[in-house]
Amino acid sequence: MRPTSPNQLIGMLQINRIVEYLPDLWNGLSMTMGLYLFALFLGLGLGIVLAIGRHYGGPIVSRISTAYIEFMRGTPLLAQILAITTLPLALNLDTSWRIILQDIFGTPRITVDITILLCAITLGLNSGAYQAEYFRGSMASISGGQTLAAKSIGMTKRQEIRHIALPQSLRRAIPAWSNEAVYLPKYTTVAYFVGVPDLFSAAKLAAGRTFQSLTVYSLVAVIFLVLITAISWILSRIYNRVKIPGI
Amino acid sequence: MMTKVIEVKDVWKAYDTLEVLKGISFDVFEGEVKVVFGPSGSGKSTLLRVINMLTPPDKGEVLLRGQSLMDPQADLTKLRAHIGFVFQNFNLFAHLKAIDNVSIGPHLVLGKTKEEAHDIAFKALEKVRMNDWGHHYPAQLSGGQQQRIGIARSLAMNPDVILFDEPTSALDPELIGEVLQVMLDIAKEGTTMIVVTHELGFARAVADEMIFMDHGVIVETGTPQHFFQNPKSERAIDFLHKLEVLYGQAETDIES
Amino acid sequence: MQEAIGLLDILLLIMIRGLSTTLALTLISLLFGFLIGTGLALMRVYGPIELQWVSIGYEKIFRGIPLLVLLFIFGAALLGLFTWAGSLTNAVFVAAVFALALRSAAYQSELFRGSIMSIDPGQMMAAQSVGMNQYQATWHIILPQALRLSLPGWTNEYAVVIKDSSLASAIGVAELIYQAQAFTLDYPALFLGIILVIAIIYFAFTYPVTKYVGESMTTKLRELGLGGGK
Repeated sequence: MRPTSPNQLIGMLQINRIVEYLPDLWNGLSMTMGLYLFALFLGLGLGIVLAIGRHYGGPIVSRISTAYIEFMRGTPLLAQILAITTLPLALNLDTSWRIILQDIFGTPRITVDITILLCAITLGLNSGAYQAEYFRGSMASISGGQTLAAKSIGMTKRQEIRHIALPQSLRRAIPAWSNEAVYLPKYTTVAYFVGVPDLFSAAKLAAGRTFQSLTVYSLVAVIFLVLITAISWILSRIYNRVKIPGI
Repeated sequence: MMTKVIEVKDVWKAYDTLEVLKGISFDVFEGEVKVVFGPSGSGKSTLLRVINMLTPPDKGEVLLRGQSLMDPQADLTKLRAHIGFVFQNFNLFAHLKAIDNVSIGPHLVLGKTKEEAHDIAFKALEKVRMNDWGHHYPAQLSGGQQQRIGIARSLAMNPDVILFDEPTSALDPELIGEVLQVMLDIAKEGTTMIVVTHELGFARAVADEMIFMDHGVIVETGTPQHFFQNPKSERAIDFLHKLEVLYGQAETDIES
Repeated sequence: MQEAIGLLDILLLIMIRGLSTTLALTLISLLFGFLIGTGLALMRVYGPIELQWVSIGYEKIFRGIPLLVLLFIFGAALLGLFTWAGSLTNAVFVAAVFALALRSAAYQSELFRGSIMSIDPGQMMAAQSVGMNQYQATWHIILPQALRLSLPGWTNEYAVVIKDSSLASAIGVAELIYQAQAFTLDYPALFLGIILVIAIIYFAFTYPVTKYVGESMTTKLRELGLGGGK
């Protein structure tokens, strides 16, 4: 609770001590990217299924999908992660499973264990609910006339969804869906709360040991800014490639 | 020797309390062109949708080549493939190029290979004079061009009959001619058609029978000559007069 | 039986202590986020080019940094800035408000800017045609409409902020999750139940708002001829 002293200000400029922690930060970044990609694609599959369930499903399927989506969107990700990662403990399950691999610096590290896996799955389950809403929005925006046209040339419901509705709604969803793809890396930091060694956890450790927290956190902030800018750029490239006039 | 393609038998349809169709019956024979006309709200569009069961009727029956579409045993999806439909708003599949809009039906529904479906589609595009535009997306085409693709999409299914739901009424006036010309061409080739339209020039040129509907019933039927020379019912006379005021004389300048 | 009573007592304590903090944190952050966000949006739409760049840069930065990083920047690295708040408890609370409000401002700015841009340019022309100058037209015609248009988006932003306020437990703000974790140490077996109940509390504070308030506002706006027109 003291104001920043001149010594600390000088300390901020001495980045040499932080260099010692770069391998940790690098491994943390790999973990963050792993969590992100796993959750993004799990959420993508789940989101499409949920959106189809909510938009095309019968009353029961549609209600189940809606309830899932609303509950996951209405509760904090942190609560979800805390609840799901406690499950093995609460159920007295064996939690010793883990995969240990050497990192690029030759040090063996825990790459996956139960908590990391559950954390990644929860991120995906959460993201799926948000992604479902983007897809549902774009499904609802497809004109009813095309459904009639598909019927009138004898397509089945399944063919219509597969060949007419999905190709259009998935394309149309990309700009809005990009939001989720850009939010998600930031929310992976919640993994810190359950002890997953992600980028933020590595930063917190480095900040505590070097007493240069502002520098370390600023570095992490910059890494995220670069990461997110890159993701937006890649997605807009993809969108421009698959874009079709009039959709 | 005249086969009935479509039989409509005493069809009724209501939306809540609003009776839209009140006992409609007529037959359509092979190669025949029927033009249905009448004031808006008379039930013409609903009638067309009832015929291919996009809107199932409350009562009555529709038969396609003697087979009832109301039969719970019937595979409606399969039967529908035999009934083409051309929409007022085209309803082209927005993510598919023109040629793919036309070939998707033969490929998916008729089970043709991609190559066969492509050939069929190309021939259909030739018929509507759009073969140079196959690689454009719907949004890159004019309304008239889109509607011609819509017609080609129906033709490619080689249907028993094609239903046209006011195919030119969403078009700018200068684009109507090209669509009517295509419709005239396919009518003359012997395509069985039911056309809801107010284009009396088209009716005069190719209609075998005209059906005048008002308030959900058929008021009067007859040949074009009959309607243009001495229509009987008060309502038909009145409506034809209004059309003349709106669109000019019935003798429009379509090549016939 | 013993445990069930224990759980209820604990939940009641958590509710009393934690919920008020969660709500205070959320509402204060939203309010400051609104004030800053509105300013940023006005700068971006009506300001000179330099201010527009400031606004754009602000949005990019605060939308790009994870909230948890912001919380530790204000609540750990720069905690010294908040010594004026008195106690440590107050200081971390103020730090959390800074993090949440500054981030929310970036999102609210974007939301409000979108609303301003979506107002029919004909409104401005019509206002000028009855003799208003540009300033009057903006203040009396454009902004009131844009504020109303933003309402559904704000219910969404409220839901985001209340849920994300849970992250402030990491820097020691005694909100709902923090209170729950405090009890975990003493009653590990109850933790799952506690977390589930807390999740439901959050749900009770988000879902009705986004669903009913958000939807009824959207409907009402549409009836008034504002917003979307879909």
